Amino acid sequence: MCWYHWIAITSLIFSVALFSYQFARLVIPGRPDDLSVSSGSVTKGVVYSFTKAMAPGAKESAYLHMPTYAGGIIYHLGTFLSLVLFFVLLAGFPSLNNPLRTIFSVLLFISFFAGFAILIKRIINKDLKSLSGLDDYISNVVTSLVQLFTAIYLLVPGAEILYYLSVALFFIWLPLGKTKHLLFFFFARYHLGFFYGWRGTWPQKSE
Amino acid sequence: MDGGEPGLKNRNNMQKIDKVKRDKALELLKSGSDSKLLTHLNACVRCGLCAGSCMFYIAHKQSKFIPAKKVDLVSSVYRRYCTSMGKIAPALVNAKDLDDSMAEEMVDLLFGSCTMCGRCVKHCSIGVDIAYIVRKGREMLSAMDMVPASLQATVDSALRTGNNMAIPTEEFVDTIKWMEEELIDEMGDNNARIPLDEPHKNVFYTLNPREPKFFPLSISAIAKIFYAAGENWTISSRFYDVTNYGFFNGNKEQATVIARNLYDEIHKLRGNVLVLGECGHGTRANRWEGPNYLQKSYDFDMTTAVELIADYIRQGRIKLDKTLNKELVTIHDPCNLVRNGGLLEEIRFVVKSAADNFTEMNPHGNENYCCGGGGGMLAMSEYNDRRLKIGEIKANQIRATGAKVVITPCHNCVDQLSQLNHTYKLGIKIKTIAELVADALVIEK
Repeated sequence: MCWYHWIAITSLIFSVALFSYQFARLVIPGRPDDLSVSSGSVTKGVVYSFTKAMAPGAKESAYLHMPTYAGGIIYHLGTFLSLVLFFVLLAGFPSLNNPLRTIFSVLLFISFFAGFAILIKRIINKDLKSLSGLDDYISNVVTSLVQLFTAIYLLVPGAEILYYLSVALFFIWLPLGKTKHLLFFFFARYHLGFFYGWRGTWPQKSE
Repeated sequence: MDGGEPGLKNRNNMQKIDKVKRDKALELLKSGSDSKLLTHLNACVRCGLCAGSCMFYIAHKQSKFIPAKKVDLVSSVYRRYCTSMGKIAPALVNAKDLDDSMAEEMVDLLFGSCTMCGRCVKHCSIGVDIAYIVRKGREMLSAMDMVPASLQATVDSALRTGNNMAIPTEEFVDTIKWMEEELIDEMGDNNARIPLDEPHKNVFYTLNPREPKFFPLSISAIAKIFYAAGENWTISSRFYDVTNYGFFNGNKEQATVIARNLYDEIHKLRGNVLVLGECGHGTRANRWEGPNYLQKSYDFDMTTAVELIADYIRQGRIKLDKTLNKELVTIHDPCNLVRNGGLLEEIRFVVKSAADNFTEMNPHGNENYCCGGGGGMLAMSEYNDRRLKIGEIKANQIRATGAKVVITPCHNCVDQLSQLNHTYKLGIKIKTIAELVADALVIEK
């Protein structure tokens, strides 16, 4: 292992440690206390929250903004693919042959451009720009760079140092910036499912 | 209706934030044991896709009305004072100081630009409970004595007199007696009563003070239904107010006092079931928040007028002839009863049982738009222009249905819809569920 491998691994440990701390803070309080009498099912509400309520047809944030929604999905898939490939590449996984490398690289170039398009939208859209601060730009850039450098490294082994440094930067920023929604997203869906499930709003019975 | 910044009219009246007030406000964000709070303060990614789900943004097309902006006001303060990154490098993580300027912006956007209807919550790409964070922001403002004066006056009335319209007990009793005489005449039966302060009754009924003040016929309507169902019921002459504007002003102590009024009164009269009158936020504040305000499970049953009437219909305790309501009716779903209360099906069951000709709004149910009067907006006169402007969305929805009658089980909504009816010349009638059902009642003598 070289120094840049260790930097990436150290960053990963930092990220996991911080996420573990945040996870513990979210889990230790346990199930929300509610002294009212439920008229629904929390379990069904939470399941609905993670399934049908997430369907593109159920959310205006999806069906009113299909290009952005599709771009976001591609971008997130690219992020997860990059994370998986980090472990594969670090371990020198033997089955990652040239055709696979090319396919993954193409996919990651596509997801990088999806992320880049989202960044451009944030810069030129008046409403989005008004919502944005450094965190929004940094989060996009570090995530997009990982995808870009993973795509490049898969095809150009000489880009190894740049690749591992971009991964390190990503892991350091992940639990600090808004990228921490990697963890908080799941808890948000849980709490929303709890809220609507408790009151019998979810699962939606009719319509 | 210019969508300006009416909240800033308060500027000269605002007290500057001192350290004591700021610390009180920040304390509300520091609960390390509140997973829900921690989650929703950290989950927003500011994608801005919630904009199109918010009436304020749709009506005004101004960036500041995007729901994510409202969340960011609170979460940026949280990051500044409650996270390491926010303390070390605030600019990097969009962390901001809670100063006078921030507090003024919070008043304008959290009180004056959000009805807490929760429509954006359902459509959020992540699942951030935006209305919950807005409420937390209101709590912070309340801790800093920055509640809009008009809203606080409504709460103060409830605390001082037992009802938010400060109706004197004598006036209320007179109104009830007058309605009772009308009921006796209409039913031709001296047993057709509106019992006041009678102990050991099955139903302890509550009212929105707008009923005795402006809409006494809605009291007659529910009394007629109780008479037809042979219900054993009463109303308190002192604590009958189902509303709780403490839910809106962000002051939990005051909300608790108001909730306790009903809790104590039903015990005093030894009622069996607390029936929440037709009021969206009143239902929410009592049914879902009340036990949490008082920190105890209630030892009596609690239901809504809608559910009670639905039970009467199912059990055959009342008979309805829906041909008596021939006009085309539509439903306005109160946010706190439907999206935030789960009564979508019950409301439709009752309306379809009582009306011959029914059509839905688009969108409706859990997707509905707020009438524009929720979140305490009706009480905050400084935001009247904004309230009527966002109400145009509801007015257009109603007009598109072609309905002549709009049914809504919420007196707050009735008030806003009445103003929309006048402002946008809709030419409709607005009725509560009880009024619709009372008109379809078949009284067997």
